[in-house]
Amino acid sequence: MSPLVVLAVGLGLPGLSSALAVAGRSPVVLFLAPLIGAGMAAVGATIELGVGGSLVADYAVVAVIVNLAVLAWWLRARRAARPRAVTAQVSPRTWGWSFLTVVVLLGCLALPLSALRAQQFGWDANSIWLTHALMVYGGHHVLLTGLQNVAYQFSNPDYPPLVPAAEALAFKFFGTGDLHLAPDMTALLTACALGVVGIGIAATGTGPDAMAVGIGGATATAGSGARRAGRIAGIVAAGAMCVVAFAVSSAYALDGYADLMWAAPAAGAVIWGLVLPPSRRALGVAWICAVAASLTKNEGLTTGLVIIVLIALRYRPLSLPGPAARRWAERAAFVVLPALPGLAWAGLIKHIGVSDEFFKSVSTETPLYRAQATVAGIWLHLHVLPVALGALLVGWLFLRRDRTRSRLANPAWLWLACLGSLVTIFVTYVDGWLPIQGWLLNSADRTTIFAQVVLYAELAVWMVIAVEGAFTWMAEQASARGSSAGERLPEVPDGLAEPVPEWDRGGPAQ
Amino acid sequence: MGGRSMGVGKLVGCVAIVVAALVTLGLSVHHDVQFTASVTTQNYMARSKADMRQEQCIYSAIRSRLPKGATIYTDGQFWTHVQRLDELSTTWAVPQANRADAQWSVTLVPAHGQCGGLALKVTRI
Repeated sequence: MSPLVVLAVGLGLPGLSSALAVAGRSPVVLFLAPLIGAGMAAVGATIELGVGGSLVADYAVVAVIVNLAVLAWWLRARRAARPRAVTAQVSPRTWGWSFLTVVVLLGCLALPLSALRAQQFGWDANSIWLTHALMVYGGHHVLLTGLQNVAYQFSNPDYPPLVPAAEALAFKFFGTGDLHLAPDMTALLTACALGVVGIGIAATGTGPDAMAVGIGGATATAGSGARRAGRIAGIVAAGAMCVVAFAVSSAYALDGYADLMWAAPAAGAVIWGLVLPPSRRALGVAWICAVAASLTKNEGLTTGLVIIVLIALRYRPLSLPGPAARRWAERAAFVVLPALPGLAWAGLIKHIGVSDEFFKSVSTETPLYRAQATVAGIWLHLHVLPVALGALLVGWLFLRRDRTRSRLANPAWLWLACLGSLVTIFVTYVDGWLPIQGWLLNSADRTTIFAQVVLYAELAVWMVIAVEGAFTWMAEQASARGSSAGERLPEVPDGLAEPVPEWDRGGPAQ
Repeated sequence: MGGRSMGVGKLVGCVAIVVAALVTLGLSVHHDVQFTASVTTQNYMARSKADMRQEQCIYSAIRSRLPKGATIYTDGQFWTHVQRLDELSTTWAVPQANRADAQWSVTLVPAHGQCGGLALKVTRI
């Protein structure tokens, strides 16, 4: 119960206003708020290291500044908004779908989380994350001298502070009498990130107007049957994805490792930023996810940067008309803004003279040998790749129009993000000095979690499109038969499509 | 290819994707159900909780046996024990890489009835 209190009160409440400002009435707010809180706590830990003070004081300063900024933005937006934007209504039926999605996601997340009562505590959970959490808990001096202490070199002292900050906050709430609070917090935050992924996948079954509340609205034009089937498929796929991500990670998701904790928000950034139709809301959620990933682990930082650059190119494509200098400035802003927290930590760590052990010396193995071993080691964990490729091929052959009609992004974006992550991991293995076989044996199952989750997500998205496509086709056939007999089905039969609030319409071009 | 056969092809493609996705996602969900069941057996949980109690006990022992801020040199037969002592001493004692820089030597030794079969041995250097 204690970790849930920290999640809700310590992280969720401070992040709630920002989540509402970004996501409006979408159910994603429920999962996004603790993630934002954790991000702010990580920024607080960065200030604790770089400037001074304690986690609670620095986190409070960050939370107050962010909430004041949100309040100022909200007041300004309210004054500028037209009456329609303020009074945009959401139908009870749409709320019903949102409620159902949240209930299904919470139920699906509860299944793997039930294993938390086993109180597993993994090796890295101790040697890296608990150690760093205690350093953050101890205040500026303990944190600074601890990270610089060569006796702690085993703990990868350059790792980013999101997980330690959340764990240290739990210790501030309830003391260190139960050290298992630490892995519990990591698992719950991971579940929140997967909730964001789940809501995003559910939204693929409901089209762009769904963005008004996350899962309302519809794009199917050939009858409510297709729309309903798409929604149900979206919810099923979303629930399954939450469990699948835990399955891919096995014990690592529950015993305090942070590999799924960076992979899940990174996957959320891909779904919201590189799959869902473009909008301010989707962009905001994607950026928050990318920031969370980049503040969690070094792999999360590199993958987060790849995703952030891809999002910038999707929202500000090279073909966009207008002054070139201004477009490039916009693209740069799209990259720098979300990359700043992660890069600030990396810069600060370098500034205080801390580095990890992976690149400290040169390997005695040849690069070719290391490259071959790495490809083989990574391939072992990508069983889902052939199925995802098959779905991509079939989907591209038969469902391209349905995907375009749903305003979902070209799947190339998702595949590029996946490839980018795999390339950075490949380079890390080849460039590092640790004996490659042992290194792969100990870590390839964890470093490929992001790629696996994203490929499963790709499969889930195609499944939703396929269900909607099949029902649309059947409805069109029925419609054709009906029209030949002098009948026509109404194009929008039940008025479920919700108006998108005016302030959410200013999203950049697709 | 005619419109009708293209439509049938689309339907077959949709079915293929849905079946492939359901099977793949379903297998993975099944794996997680099995995994969850395997780590929530009475025996597994008892072992896990015993490990956790041992860790909490060592954490408390470090704080009761050493003065706050003590510089320590962690030593022992197993490197896993040495590293665990470094981790759990964080915020209370300061591990040193060299024995010469430390005031105290700290080791985990086998013992009955203490921290799950281990006891903290503290020696002034």
